[in-house]
Amino acid sequence: MTSANNGLRIDGLAMNFGGVFVFDDVTIDIPPGKVTACIGPNGAGKTTIINIVCGVFAPRAGEIFVDGVKLAGVRPFDTVRHGLCRSFQDVRIFPFLTALENILVAMPGQSGENLLGLFTPGARAQERANREKARLLLQTVALEGAAGRPAGELPFGQQKLVSLLRAVATGARVLLLDEPAAGVEIDLIPRVVDLIRALAKAEGRATFLVEHNIDLVREVADHVCVLQGGRIIASGAAEHVLGDETVIREYLGRVYNA
Amino acid sequence: MLNLLQVFSTGLGLAGYYALVAVGFALIFATLRIFHVAHGTVFMTAGYAFFGLHRLAGLHIALAAACALAIAALVGLLIDKIIYGPVLKRGGGMFSVFIASLGVSLIFESGFLVWSKGVVSVARAELLDIFIVGDVVLRRFDFFILAIVALAYGALYLWLHRTSTGLAIRGLTDNSELSAIVGVEVAKTRNAIFLVASSLAGLAGVLTAYDTGMTPASGVQTLFIGVVAVILGGTRNILLGAIVGAAALGMLTAFAGYFFPEWISFSIFAMMIILIIFRPQGLLG
Amino acid sequence: MEHLYYLGTLISVWIIVALAANLVIGYTGMMAMGQAAYLGVGAYVAAGLNVLLGVNFHLALLAALLVSGAVAAATLWPLLRIGGFYFALATLGLNFVFFDIFHNLGPRVEGSEGLHGLKLPDLFAGSGARFATTAALAALCFLACRTIVGSPLGRALRAVRDRPDALAALGKDPRRYQMLIWSVAGALTGLAGGLYAATLFYIDPTLFTLDASILVLVYIGVGGLASTWGSVLGVVLLIVFNESLRYLGLPSQYVGPLQQALYGLLLIGLMIFRRRGLVGEYDFRE
Repeated sequence: MTSANNGLRIDGLAMNFGGVFVFDDVTIDIPPGKVTACIGPNGAGKTTIINIVCGVFAPRAGEIFVDGVKLAGVRPFDTVRHGLCRSFQDVRIFPFLTALENILVAMPGQSGENLLGLFTPGARAQERANREKARLLLQTVALEGAAGRPAGELPFGQQKLVSLLRAVATGARVLLLDEPAAGVEIDLIPRVVDLIRALAKAEGRATFLVEHNIDLVREVADHVCVLQGGRIIASGAAEHVLGDETVIREYLGRVYNA
Repeated sequence: MLNLLQVFSTGLGLAGYYALVAVGFALIFATLRIFHVAHGTVFMTAGYAFFGLHRLAGLHIALAAACALAIAALVGLLIDKIIYGPVLKRGGGMFSVFIASLGVSLIFESGFLVWSKGVVSVARAELLDIFIVGDVVLRRFDFFILAIVALAYGALYLWLHRTSTGLAIRGLTDNSELSAIVGVEVAKTRNAIFLVASSLAGLAGVLTAYDTGMTPASGVQTLFIGVVAVILGGTRNILLGAIVGAAALGMLTAFAGYFFPEWISFSIFAMMIILIIFRPQGLLG
Repeated sequence: MEHLYYLGTLISVWIIVALAANLVIGYTGMMAMGQAAYLGVGAYVAAGLNVLLGVNFHLALLAALLVSGAVAAATLWPLLRIGGFYFALATLGLNFVFFDIFHNLGPRVEGSEGLHGLKLPDLFAGSGARFATTAALAALCFLACRTIVGSPLGRALRAVRDRPDALAALGKDPRRYQMLIWSVAGALTGLAGGLYAATLFYIDPTLFTLDASILVLVYIGVGGLASTWGSVLGVVLLIVFNESLRYLGLPSQYVGPLQQALYGLLLIGLMIFRRRGLVGEYDFRE
């Protein structure tokens, strides 16, 4: 925590819902430029970690740091101000906005969103520039053709890509992606993989991934932690953790038995 | 102090009417998630039908009252079948049904406006039957109303707790998805809910027409009183909630009417808004 | 001609009200069922200042705009935490709360239930001038609304309507936009209220009841939700249609009820057959 730019650190997080224990002592480092994945069975509390970081739930114990600065009393809508942005497993796209508008609406600091700012010429120029940026983002996942279509009409996988781009467009340095590949059509998965890689490697964002699809994790993750039975049972470099027999047996065993 | 007792007894009389309207509204809202604005219309229809059959057509008062009840029940059922059903079938939701229901009440209200702008009332000399306890003047008719409310609630309790339809209805308030599996039964249950709730509103309508009389605006007023009573009492326990809500509201109306009569609807609706903000599940929820 | 001017003025006033209501209902998805309250505040502020304190009517209109906007913001503030259907119910309650306020606290001219005797400046003095000024203001409001809905702000409003939780996750507080647009709509409705007072020469509390709020709903429901042209279309069609009923030769006491019944039928028909209205971009989903 000495560097000013060391991503997201989740330190000793503990959670329960009323009397129901969820997890204890969850510590994860999510450094910039790397993809950190969290795997584990359903109900282990993976999404709950994201919800706590984003201020949806208050943890029983534990602290969260962004670039060494402790987060306190964060509410969902000011996460981006602290450099964080999440995506949702169930996409939560804006169905009546076009794909392009979905991305545009996420962009920060638009003077055209203020009543007075919107009548200024500066707002126009900014909007033109933002549109260009949004179009480029769509191009990175080969969706420029869908730019003008209402997002609600796109196939689920494309909606998911748009929702990831939306998170990217906020400019957040830390991205929390909740099962970005779940429900995505098989032929679109490579685009999800490329996008996540590019975010971390090319743009240096700290990327946290909660994922079920172990093949995806194998392809994109640098670090992996396994959350099971209310604690982190394994954590480290991806090839180590995913090469660990017990982890694979525990994890894959559960997945395939489910 | 004695004045307060008088106001209290007035409130109790009002609470009787409110309870009859509120419980039907609550039944429909809690089980079907339908915000039945036209419940007030059904209430009014019974009153006008009673007036028409008895005063204009010369039917015996009991027969006229029975017919008015039947008409109210039928109107309620038909509103669901002809209006709400198609709205829901074509993908409308709670808000669409609410707007359509507003439409129904506008239509009926305009019909009654054409009939008569003023009060129609069957009022008779018995209403003047009073007796005095201490300094408090009591109307015998208020006791009659309360007795009817008690009877109606008793019957309703037995219906909800001792019959299979009642069981299905209570199932709907607990977990509508589970009950929806039973398909055909749901349609039957739905009809039963509308028939029973509308009869209760009809009962209140007949009593009101007999007592204070109906105006074309009575429906909306009464409906909102039912709504506020339901918001007060909550929908977890329909019967208890409606009676608590109605009693509280009856008192509020009577006390507001006594101390600041100009601010009655302000008091009622300000309270409704405050409740929605702080306790949307109702006082008992 | 006088009567045509009057109708044109009335249409212009309601166009402003409908545009404002569509901003909150159609674009932002906030079920506003109490717009009559803000209309009444605007009318009472404009007419009260003008009649009782002799304030110039232009200034009184400006005051109506500002006060209504502030009242709208103040009434929305406590309601922001409630959602969905209960929000609609609470705003519906505003009609009754404000009716009693107008009725009991609203200024009135001796011997009447309301206010009359407005001293109108040249721009509003004759019926022709009044029509021209009101129509010009309505056109201005129309352009302002189009600018808003076509801007990044309009986009954010539609995002609030579709998925407020997702917008929050993107770092934008939905309540900020709700507050902003509700106040803007309240201000515009208040301006319309002031103009309404000038159109009718007389206001009393019965003009600003639930009926007026329902009327607004009918206008934008028919014209179309989330459509500026829809707001205009709904008002023009219905007021012209309503006016034509007068020429059917019915006894006058039947005209009012007939209009009301037709509005009721329209609401039902819309909800069953065309929830998005004539040219709407959105429909009553809930």
